[in-house]
Amino acid sequence: MASVRMTQVTALILRAVASGRRYGFDVMDACDLPSGTVYPALRRLERAGVLRSGWEDVDEARSEGRPRRRTYALTEAGRDALREADAKLQEIRRLLGDFPPATAGEA
Amino acid sequence: MWTRLWVRIVSVLVPGPDREEWIEEWDGELAARSGRSSDAWGALPDAWTLRTQGWTMDGMLREVRAAVKGLARKPFFTALAGITLAIGIGANTAIFSVVDAVLINPLPYPDSGKLLSVNHTAPGLNLPVVPHSEAMYLHYLNGFKTLSSFAIFQQDNVNLEREGDPERISASVVTQEFFDVMGVHPVLGRDFVTGEDRKGAEPVAVLGHGLWERSFGGDRSVIGRTVDMDGVQRRVVGVMPEGFSFPGKTELWIPMAIDQANPSVGSLSYLGIGRLASGQTEEATQAEMRGLLYSFADAHPDDLNRQIIEQAGLAPDVKPLKALYTADLQRALWILLGTVGFVLLIACANVANLFLVRAEERQREQALRTALGASRRDMVRHYLTESVTLALGGGALGLILAWAGVRGLLALAPIDMPRASEIGIDGSVLAFTAVVSVVSGLVFGLFPVFGYARKDLSGALKEGGRASTGGRERHRARSTLVVAQVALALILLVGSGLMARSFSAMRNVDLGFATADRLSFHVSLPAAEYPDAHSVGAFERGLQQRLEAIPGVETAALATALPLEDQKNASPLEAADHPVPEGQLGTLVNLRRVSPRYFESMGITLLDGRGLTSDDEAPGVRSVVISQALARSFWPNDASVLGRQLREQGDTLAFEVVGVTRDVRFEKVAEIPEPMAYYAIAPTGDSVPSPARSLAVVMKVGADPMSFVSAAREALRAVDPRLPMVEPRTVATIVRDAMAPTSFTVVLLGIAAGIALLLGTVGIYGVVSYMVSRRTQEIGVRMALGAPGGVVLREVVGQGMTLTGVGLVVGLLGAWGVSRVLASLLYGVSATDPMTYAVTACGLGLVALLASWIPARRAAQVDPVEALRSE
Repeated sequence: MASVRMTQVTALILRAVASGRRYGFDVMDACDLPSGTVYPALRRLERAGVLRSGWEDVDEARSEGRPRRRTYALTEAGRDALREADAKLQEIRRLLGDFPPATAGEA
Repeated sequence: MWTRLWVRIVSVLVPGPDREEWIEEWDGELAARSGRSSDAWGALPDAWTLRTQGWTMDGMLREVRAAVKGLARKPFFTALAGITLAIGIGANTAIFSVVDAVLINPLPYPDSGKLLSVNHTAPGLNLPVVPHSEAMYLHYLNGFKTLSSFAIFQQDNVNLEREGDPERISASVVTQEFFDVMGVHPVLGRDFVTGEDRKGAEPVAVLGHGLWERSFGGDRSVIGRTVDMDGVQRRVVGVMPEGFSFPGKTELWIPMAIDQANPSVGSLSYLGIGRLASGQTEEATQAEMRGLLYSFADAHPDDLNRQIIEQAGLAPDVKPLKALYTADLQRALWILLGTVGFVLLIACANVANLFLVRAEERQREQALRTALGASRRDMVRHYLTESVTLALGGGALGLILAWAGVRGLLALAPIDMPRASEIGIDGSVLAFTAVVSVVSGLVFGLFPVFGYARKDLSGALKEGGRASTGGRERHRARSTLVVAQVALALILLVGSGLMARSFSAMRNVDLGFATADRLSFHVSLPAAEYPDAHSVGAFERGLQQRLEAIPGVETAALATALPLEDQKNASPLEAADHPVPEGQLGTLVNLRRVSPRYFESMGITLLDGRGLTSDDEAPGVRSVVISQALARSFWPNDASVLGRQLREQGDTLAFEVVGVTRDVRFEKVAEIPEPMAYYAIAPTGDSVPSPARSLAVVMKVGADPMSFVSAAREALRAVDPRLPMVEPRTVATIVRDAMAPTSFTVVLLGIAAGIALLLGTVGIYGVVSYMVSRRTQEIGVRMALGAPGGVVLREVVGQGMTLTGVGLVVGLLGAWGVSRVLASLLYGVSATDPMTYAVTACGLGLVALLASWIPARRAAQVDPVEALRSE
């Protein structure tokens, strides 16, 4: 199982997925990151075995007359990585220190 | 709709097995959220991530090393392809570096995205830029809520009096908020303060960094010192940071002296700039200004009213500040970038062709690799690595060419190319070159891939590699390349042909004045030293007399500006015997002030009456000489208009017409001559225009005008030793400089078209001679069976010419399609001029004929025995 380099982006994304964001675009919104950042990161995380992807219910998609969306969830390894991610986010908060919180994202 | 298409285009990067699901995922997300199409761009980096997953540095290096080795084995091929690419990529890099610096990069001022040009435009009067008057400025200044600061300025020149020679400095007269708008403040001393730009304030000045170092030795104690500027003692209050020289090459900033109680209303001579308040937009300023313009008109019904605004189409014109300076160049530069883009396409076509030939030669190698288990994907990667490596090499070489080319370009460039100092090879230019190289590598690299990689190559292994059947597809690829090359080359040739014809039309324009054997220079009289018409008149007569006393000088004269030198200075005039109805705008007439013997000195023919004399400056005399266009416009039915009277619209003082001259191209070479009126420089008496102090001098000499410069300088010194002589040049030079932007475009388009022609010819020659070499055996057989050489010759030439013919038709249609873009740069020739199209098409056809005739003749001389033995 490949390891993940924990960056702010990966940490944010893991946190977003852990808190129930299933779809790529939801993760983007939660992290306030553009698609060109989130998707490549999702692919890398999936490849590293931290995330696992599935598909949304086909009936739901069909009832709305559109193709299915891919869903993302943490794997077992992902739960370990999440601890690392939270530590990373904690560290960022600490570094920001006295700065007033800007858009806090999801985390 | 577009996002679906985009996702599908991008999906080619995604590895095959994952592609379908990948498309579904993106479609699903985008369909579930309407209105988020801008998020679709991320599909590209996403697809790229998937494509490159599993690529390792090692593997890539190995590929690249193999590619370099393969290329090195064929040095001639590699050099030819590399140089072709270097020319194409280099040309693009060079032009892009100019476009990037001049048009794309933000201006080098803080938060420059908020800097606006705040002026008007009047399409109804054919005036692209209408600046402000003092009263207008005050009205706007009080009214603007969408701008955080607003200022007006006017570029000027000032004689700076230092020990020794007087120096003429580029200066700008500005209002107090000027530095706030620019966001740049003095590094030493202070800005102008409130009230300093009003009449009666203490005269102060801010120095440019260069001027400070040059003329004051960088002495910090200069602050507070008074310096003589145009005869006015000004106290220096600040020094600007290094590199700041807006507008133009300003080195000295002087506050305006607006008479707040009685500001001038109608003299529109100051350009406006503004800085957007936070959260505001250009559009908001534009809308706000429209309201302010109407309230200004309502407040000054004598000078401006809604009817005039409507008639003139007068409207606010708010746009990014850089657009004010680059508008003229913008179109020409984008066209040039498009042109070199075409050159690159032709270069790619040539290299693609070389690669096709090479691929054919390597057919056996390919077949062997396939037999040994190389997958199609491996081969595609191998091909593309090779072509991209080559393209990057060509790009690196092109960068060197571009670096040299930009230097040449700047030497050729119109003298006042804005932002020229910012042009160079920087990060974004490097990125551009890299992207262009990779993309062109992919473009020409894909040709052989489509031709070969999917083929069953076992046939190639069996026989001698002369696959006569699989040739059809390759043949089609090559034919496409020839057609494309011919078409692209023709488009460029037509474009440069049209520009060349415009240029020659411009050169043959009857300017209305003589250009040979004439020297000109400028001089400006400080108002403090020359306060009235008498002193200016004395200077005028004194200088003229001394200049004409120089041996070899036939006549000399003064004027406010010489033809093709200055911008418009126009006022609405009316004929005294049929005034313009109330509320309408009179004819806009260019006004000039000229001395006696101006028309002789400038070689402008008098058609009727006389030129101005010194008597016309006598008290109570109000004379005017008008151009033929003005005479026709005011009195279309009169045989002679001498003795008729005209005046400024709404004014009571009329001037008597004493002479009529031929029309002169005053503003631009390529314009329809506009009406002109010439007044005396320093008329005396009551109620006459105040004397003109910014003067141009012209001398008609026997020969070699530049050899008179020092004598003229002596003459000027004898009249007033404190006045510097500015910009001595011949009238022919003035004309040449005025045509510089056109000649610049002509030369560059010509170079581009020349390269296109060369590459296109090489391409046709290469393809035809390759076809011949492939068919040597067949031709040999036919000739052995008795086919005459002439038939073979005709057939081979015919083959080349068929492709050329198709290319010419496509090219003509293409040229016709893109000619609209060129139309605004053309003069005296229509964008669809049949002559240009016909001549360039025939010319290109002839070159193509030659390019296919040479190999065809070789084919016709094939010795059948040799040919048959050759395999």
